[in-house]
Amino acid sequence: MAKKILIVEDEENERILYAEELEKEGFEIKAVPDGTVAVALVEKEEFDLIILDLQMPGLDGIETLGKILMKKRNLPVIIYTAYPQYKDQFLTWAADAYLTKSSDLSLLKEKVASILK
Amino acid sequence: MNINSQEVTTFILAGGKGERLHPLTKDRAKPAVPFGGIYRIIDFPLSNAINSGLRKIYVFTQYKSLSLQRHIREGWNIFSRELGEFIDMVPAQKRIGEEWYQGTADSVLQNMNILEDERPMYILILSGDQVYKMDYNRMLWQHIEKKADLTISVFEVERKDARRFGVLKVEDDRITKFIEKPSEPAPDPGNEDFCLVSMGIYIFTLEALIRNIMDDAKRTDSTHDFGKDIIPSMIGKYNLYAYRFIDENKKETKYWKDIGTIDSYWESNMDLVNLDPLLNLYDRSWPIRTFQEQFPPAKTVFSGENRKASVTDSMISGGCIISGARVNHSVLSTNVRVNSYCEINDCIIFDNVNVGRYSRLKKVIIDKNVQVPRGTEIGYNPEYDRKRFFVSENGVAVVPKNYKW
Repeated sequence: MAKKILIVEDEENERILYAEELEKEGFEIKAVPDGTVAVALVEKEEFDLIILDLQMPGLDGIETLGKILMKKRNLPVIIYTAYPQYKDQFLTWAADAYLTKSSDLSLLKEKVASILK
Repeated sequence: MNINSQEVTTFILAGGKGERLHPLTKDRAKPAVPFGGIYRIIDFPLSNAINSGLRKIYVFTQYKSLSLQRHIREGWNIFSRELGEFIDMVPAQKRIGEEWYQGTADSVLQNMNILEDERPMYILILSGDQVYKMDYNRMLWQHIEKKADLTISVFEVERKDARRFGVLKVEDDRITKFIEKPSEPAPDPGNEDFCLVSMGIYIFTLEALIRNIMDDAKRTDSTHDFGKDIIPSMIGKYNLYAYRFIDENKKETKYWKDIGTIDSYWESNMDLVNLDPLLNLYDRSWPIRTFQEQFPPAKTVFSGENRKASVTDSMISGGCIISGARVNHSVLSTNVRVNSYCEINDCIIFDNVNVGRYSRLKKVIIDKNVQVPRGTEIGYNPEYDRKRFFVSENGVAVVPKNYKW
């Protein structure tokens, strides 16, 4: 069965791009625009991995990460953000990877593959 | 060595329910249980912190914390925020989780924002429900000297009594093993009859604390507790050292009590009225402070042949009046009135209690705000006492707070 990934990203173009690219790799994708929706979804559905943006309106990525951590302790999370400086926010240390966004998605794909192997 | 105490943030974990101290913990958290007439248990770790020069203190609370919060607000409002000193109460706010703290480490995880804002170099983690006197600075010196990631304060207990503790195995005070409640406790090298047990007092270096709390947070098989989960998982990967407790109580026998049961609670209070108590409250070089409402001095009245006040081997707090009654081997909190012809033996009486004439009480704890009716007898008929009150294994009866006859 295909592994299931939840993408949390407020920018629509990016959300669609990541979803398409990862679907090509054979993963089942759900993509949502904000943290509150993501937290509710994680409660209802089983995912194998979450790809999480940090700067989002409403519930931001770090708060989302904290809430997801409390609900599904061992669910792997990749933080995928344009901003390296959030690395010194301690809650981000709970993520399995912290990647800075780049137009080349190969690094993200590699990380996803290594976590879900 | 010169250590800037500004670099240390102290977390006092005061969420313990203290179920075995029921009914004293029916309406209050264990750290708020009165002790020694005028103190609450939490006054001991708080006084130790102040005496050690540590003045950035967070008290983590959760269950039944109203009286604890009131006590700290009224009694410990002595810090100067301008100088970077504070004592802040942190109730379980459910910032990221939606449940109560699952374990001791979980309470730190759920308040990670505090460490984020403070970014201290060292974090001292204490339990709010132990009675002892300790200079945490000495422990900090060792932590820095050894370049430790985690230092655990340890107490020597006889091997036969060590099973209920977290027991450490050490080589030159470097921790090589840590087991909670082991069936075969490892002895202290060079002192075979004793074991080193964890006192639940930790100093972490910031990064080691955060890394390990985060790793542990991801584990579904974890109870998120420092003793059960975090410390055992750190062994072999980090520098862990044992710090051998140095007692500021300065007696021959070291004093450290986690008052777990009504019987040990009663005994620890009775110790205080001995000629030479194990716990010395009178040493001005290590003062224990508390909140005290203003009361007039304790007073005794009537000195006749039959109606005579007598107080022996007891501690009597401010505002008490012993009127033509005998009080022996007892600890009385503030504002207690014992009326004529009463006999009080081996009792602990909390604030605002009035004992009616001709009452006889033996081995009884009376919680706050109780009017004991004239002629009451407790402690002389165990079967009858058990029907009305909680009575401990060793026969200590407890009259709960606000009890109405």
